[in-house]
Amino acid sequence: MTETVLFWLFSILAVGGAAGVVLASNPVNGAMALVGSFFALAGLYLLLSAQLLAALQILVYTGAIMVLFLFVIMLLNLSPQELGRDRLTPARAAGALAALGATGLLATTFLRLRFPPAAVSHQFGTVASVGLELFSDFTLPFEATSLLLLAAILGAVVVAKGKL
Amino acid sequence: MHDPSALVWIPLLPLLGALVCGLFGPRLGRANVNLVACAAVAGAFALALLAFVSVAGGPAITWAATWFAVGRIHIGAGLLVDRLSGLLLLVVTGIGFLIHVYSTGYMADDPGHWRYFAYLNLFVGSMLILVLADNLVLLFVGWEGVGLCSYLLIGFWYDDAAKASAGRKAFVVNRIGDFGFGLAVFALLALFGTVEFRSIAAELARAAPAEMLNQGLFAGWHLSAALTLIALLFVLGVTGKSAQIPLYVWLPDAMAGPTPVSALIHAATMVTAGVYLMCRLSFLFAFAPAALTVVACIGAATAIFAAAIAFAQNDIKKVLAYSTVSQLGYMVLAVGVGAFWAAIFHLITHACFKALLFLGSGSVIHGLGGEQDMRQMGGLGRRLRHTAIAFGVATVAITGVLPISGFFSKDAILGAALGSENRFAPWLPAALYGVGLAAALGTAFYMWRLWALTFAGQPRSPAAEHAHESPASMTVPDDVLAFLSIVTLALGLPLMGHEPFLKTFLDPIFGAATNTLLTSAVAPASELGTPWALYAVAIAVAWAGYALAYWLYQGGARGVPARLAAAFPPGYRLIANKFYVDEIYQAVIVKPLWGLARTLWRLLDQGLIDLVIVRGSAWVVATISAYVLKPLQNGDVQRYAAVMAIGATALLWWVLR
Amino acid sequence: MVAPGQYLVVAALLFGLGFLGVMVRRNALTIFMSIELMLNAANLTFLTFARHPLHGAPSDGGNAIAFFVIAVAAAEAAVGLAVVIAVFRSRGSINVDELRSLRG
Repeated sequence: MTETVLFWLFSILAVGGAAGVVLASNPVNGAMALVGSFFALAGLYLLLSAQLLAALQILVYTGAIMVLFLFVIMLLNLSPQELGRDRLTPARAAGALAALGATGLLATTFLRLRFPPAAVSHQFGTVASVGLELFSDFTLPFEATSLLLLAAILGAVVVAKGKL
Repeated sequence: MHDPSALVWIPLLPLLGALVCGLFGPRLGRANVNLVACAAVAGAFALALLAFVSVAGGPAITWAATWFAVGRIHIGAGLLVDRLSGLLLLVVTGIGFLIHVYSTGYMADDPGHWRYFAYLNLFVGSMLILVLADNLVLLFVGWEGVGLCSYLLIGFWYDDAAKASAGRKAFVVNRIGDFGFGLAVFALLALFGTVEFRSIAAELARAAPAEMLNQGLFAGWHLSAALTLIALLFVLGVTGKSAQIPLYVWLPDAMAGPTPVSALIHAATMVTAGVYLMCRLSFLFAFAPAALTVVACIGAATAIFAAAIAFAQNDIKKVLAYSTVSQLGYMVLAVGVGAFWAAIFHLITHACFKALLFLGSGSVIHGLGGEQDMRQMGGLGRRLRHTAIAFGVATVAITGVLPISGFFSKDAILGAALGSENRFAPWLPAALYGVGLAAALGTAFYMWRLWALTFAGQPRSPAAEHAHESPASMTVPDDVLAFLSIVTLALGLPLMGHEPFLKTFLDPIFGAATNTLLTSAVAPASELGTPWALYAVAIAVAWAGYALAYWLYQGGARGVPARLAAAFPPGYRLIANKFYVDEIYQAVIVKPLWGLARTLWRLLDQGLIDLVIVRGSAWVVATISAYVLKPLQNGDVQRYAAVMAIGATALLWWVLR
Repeated sequence: MVAPGQYLVVAALLFGLGFLGVMVRRNALTIFMSIELMLNAANLTFLTFARHPLHGAPSDGGNAIAFFVIAVAAAEAAVGLAVVIAVFRSRGSINVDELRSLRG
């Protein structure tokens, strides 16, 4: 019962936030809506017993990435005239149709799936459990990701700095 | 001949000569080119003589080789010398040699001297391949080869557009005949699976004319019907190569070439290839009496038609050209009545005296510095004594006023025609004889007219007054040919009581055909020799022609021809313009074909291919690029994204369905 | 009791909205945020299947993958935003309509 209520609450918040991102004309508004959406998603993750991921979602996604976004938006400091209005070109219409089509496809496919009942231990999704997984089966991707982050840092510095 | 492979050298020597003269001619110099060319043919003659002597007394010589084999079809490249091809070998190489010697004098000052001898040797080589072939395909190689050389030599002086187009005309008209030849070979291959003469003869020896074919291309046909069709297709080829109605039109135009070429190719050898073919296939024609009837009619009609045209020609070579067409008509007529040996007899004698006539006319033209119009000649009997005597012998031979070679060969044909039977049209043998006799009268008339205008009387132009005799290189071959024109009469002996020598000699070749024919609709003459009455009639006719010509051109009625021509202008023009046959062909056949070609060119070539396919495909590509591909790359990132999105969605749908 | 399919439908909706945003919006930053939305939708899907697999037992592998997605998203966001800044500095605009130098 609780689960259902929480699920619906978090879902509506998540989808609403997403809609806000897409519809907002001012990027700041869109960023805030996205933050809200991420929080709701963190809640959904918790409902799925993914404790570590929920925490990481808030810490990294909203705490770091969205902060970065907001910094950049403030840096660019776009005025309303520069923001302008969106026009619906044929390309955009085609893309929109494709998006709707893809969504419909996915939704119908997902609804058709049959899931067997699954029970989990208390250890599922905890830091220790996921950490074990990371350091055994996913060691290589883990190490590669560190390199990736290094490359990203360097890249960002180089691209954004202008003159070194 | 102990080693049959030596046969290969007979055509090979002239072909090598052609190669040497063609590749190294300019560097070798005139004397060496003369030497190489004449030696090549002389060598071939020597070998031919050896071969002939061998087969005259013994069996035929064969040399087998394979050209190619595809599936069940096996085409050989073998050579065969039997009595028939042995005789032809002697004619081709012997007269060829004489004409080569003559040409060394005639073409001495021509800048294309080496080219001429290369072509001439090539011609002799091709003709020898034709004669020696043991199967139809190899024969066709020689057939085409001589056609090619004819084209090359007629248009030898190619900077003259008229001469070049005469060469082209010869080739194109021959092509029509070759079409018939080709179809006949295919049909024969479908029927018997082989194109070798001996194999076909063997197959036919076992077959009966009325037998029904029940498989293959001719299923449901009688054997004789199929063979009649094949024979008629061959006849198309013969009318092309041997200049009969309707494809004779190239021969008079072929006089544009050098005169020795006319002598060799268009009198003695190439044009006789059609007659040779029919004789080679005598066993096949024997199964097709209907075709033989057609052949006889064509021959007789051509003989008289060409003779009539010759009456009004003023160019000495044109008269001889139509004479050749007419005489070939005789040979074809002989084949048509089943007297194959008589055709070969006339072939041999005609080769000798017609070559001599042409060479003589060449001497005349040479002596007059290039003049060919007889109206500008006259009185040359005194100035070109040597030539005149030889020419006179040839004229006697062709007209038959005295009993030398031509008299006997022509009368053998006429006698065979009269003595044959034709169950399709019982009146036909008599009609053929009548037409042949009329043509003989015509022959006597136009030949003695030619003599009168050229050699008799007074010179009618300065060129004729200052005419000079030819060098020895040109007169000696004349003498040899004159000699031959007389002695070849021996082939027709004895006259009465027994079969003529040549007939007996060639009996092993033609015996099978003659036997088949005797029981068919066209029965050849079986009397031994020609009755005296016929000889008397023939001599009378010849003298009548001579007398008429003498009277009209040398004697009392000297102005009459001119007055007759003036009195009946349409009639005269009709004959002088060769009955407008060329013009009719031009209007009925050539122009429509040109029109068709032009229409097809505009429609298909310019319209379909150029416009629709070439420019159209370019237009399609350009339009697609401009309207479909270009807008996809306008820099709009979202457009790119949209394309990717559509693709990704489609993929997703494909995977999830 | 919430069926796993419902989580997945939410994920699909989020994905669709993000997709729509990428296709339709003009502002490069908005497009970026929509991309982040799509990545999150993918994360949700992974986690749902980790917790409620179609075959076998629930495993932490899906959680690990989601972990990497977050890491990659962070790296991508860093570099992408640096690019946006650089583009803004040289072109003066971040409207994708006006960024057409890929033309041709």
